[in-house]
Amino acid sequence: MSRKEFLFPEELFYEKNSHMWIKKEDDDIIVTGIDAIGLDNLGDLAYITLRPAGTRVKKGESMGTLEAAKMTGDVFAPVSGTVVAVNEACVQNPGIVNDDTYGRGWLISIKADDWPGESVDFVSGEALKPWVEAEIKRLESQGFDA
Amino acid sequence: MSWRLICDDGVGAAFGLAADDYMAGAVGRGESDPLLRLYTYRDHCALAGRFQDVENEIHLDFCRGHGIAVNRRPTGGGTIFMGRNQLGVALCIPGKKEDTYGRAREVMGRFSEGIIRGLQSLGVRARFRRKNDIEVEGRKIAGLGIFRDSSGGLLFHSSILVDMDIALMLKVLNTPFEKISDKEIATVDQRITTVCRESGRALSTDQVRQAVATGYKEVFNTSLTEGYFSTRELERIALRQQEKYERPEWIYQTSRVKDAEGMCRIKTEKGLLEVRLTLAGRQIKALFIRGDFFASETAIADVEGHFRWHAAHKEKIEETLNQLYHKHNEALSSLPQQSLLQAIVQALSRARVVEKKLSLEPYGCFVSPGGNLHA
Repeated sequence: MSRKEFLFPEELFYEKNSHMWIKKEDDDIIVTGIDAIGLDNLGDLAYITLRPAGTRVKKGESMGTLEAAKMTGDVFAPVSGTVVAVNEACVQNPGIVNDDTYGRGWLISIKADDWPGESVDFVSGEALKPWVEAEIKRLESQGFDA
Repeated sequence: MSWRLICDDGVGAAFGLAADDYMAGAVGRGESDPLLRLYTYRDHCALAGRFQDVENEIHLDFCRGHGIAVNRRPTGGGTIFMGRNQLGVALCIPGKKEDTYGRAREVMGRFSEGIIRGLQSLGVRARFRRKNDIEVEGRKIAGLGIFRDSSGGLLFHSSILVDMDIALMLKVLNTPFEKISDKEIATVDQRITTVCRESGRALSTDQVRQAVATGYKEVFNTSLTEGYFSTRELERIALRQQEKYERPEWIYQTSRVKDAEGMCRIKTEKGLLEVRLTLAGRQIKALFIRGDFFASETAIADVEGHFRWHAAHKEKIEETLNQLYHKHNEALSSLPQQSLLQAIVQALSRARVVEKKLSLEPYGCFVSPGGNLHA
């Protein structure tokens, strides 16, 4: 049986614990969504709520909730800051996230308080490939269907 | 490691949910050992799933008139009807931060094993049905759900039908039925089952509770220390109750993903076939099949059960039907597979039209949960 392939665009950053991708834009504004492994674990998303623009969020804490395959849980903020925009299209049709998570499936945009300090733990560049491989191995060892 | 066991009965809806919600976090933060809570609610309450609209799911006027509490669970899935004859199971265990979205599908099966072992010890041939149910021969006997707290703590919820007043349940929950007569009651009776029916004994909820506790002890090779919430925990639970589960903003919040219903009625060579389908985003939330063809109700119940929270893609529907027709080859022989596929796909397509119309409506009824009510 061939292994699943997971797309991890190289120009993005990844938060290891929550499996969120992060795109850095100008003025310390970031755009974020769920990465391919996170989505594969969740399956089709049924519902999402996200904190509205103007809300303060803290790295590692909840910035919304989701339901997929009957598991509900938090959507975690990859950085601390202020919510700038929410992708209303995904809130109304969470299937967009499954279809195109790195594009139309972005979830939220945040003005980061401390990008230099908080981004040091993110995976990117040369560290990306070994991390993805290690994650797949780790999940396979837990019965993950890769 | 030893687990705590808390057995409490006749709890109010807001307290029952607040306790599970708070304790999942306490276990996740390492403030408590893993907790197994086996409890019953005060007669009666209707508990909607995390993202369901109570207005759509529950006959609120009937509940108000009959003192039936309405609330919202932190876990997903549909609405459940609880009382003294339905055993609530809440298992709070520490998760791992690095497994935020990992193993969601696997843990559901693993956590249900304690219940299955307990029910089997009572002579009930229970088994896990992929995703979210425990069933006996295609009939649902327990529903399952998982909530992951931001601390990493996991809350596994289940409601076990020890016994059930179906007529009352149908008055409380919104169903695809246009009217409720003996025929509709009999139809539901074919789709769900109870521990009392399957064991052939009039078992008490407490007997089932003891069996389930032993099931968990054996499956997880742990010991259970019975106790109750500490004073500090009760204070925190009371706070969670006031700030979340007693607030209309939590209970009556609405989802931006609206349920859309579609129906298809077709004539097959073996009789009339009617399919009603509820679509929630990209998931089939519920499927209801009836008609004047002759097929085993158990097999029909199994088909409907497999399509609860099923991907709304034609290929996946076809794949599931292939498996089900392979399994129930004889029992479904009077219901042509192609006709059922056609009816489901048409009902789905009509539901999508309704969904599109709903999405064009203004969001005037949306209540933003805000603050702590988000989680």
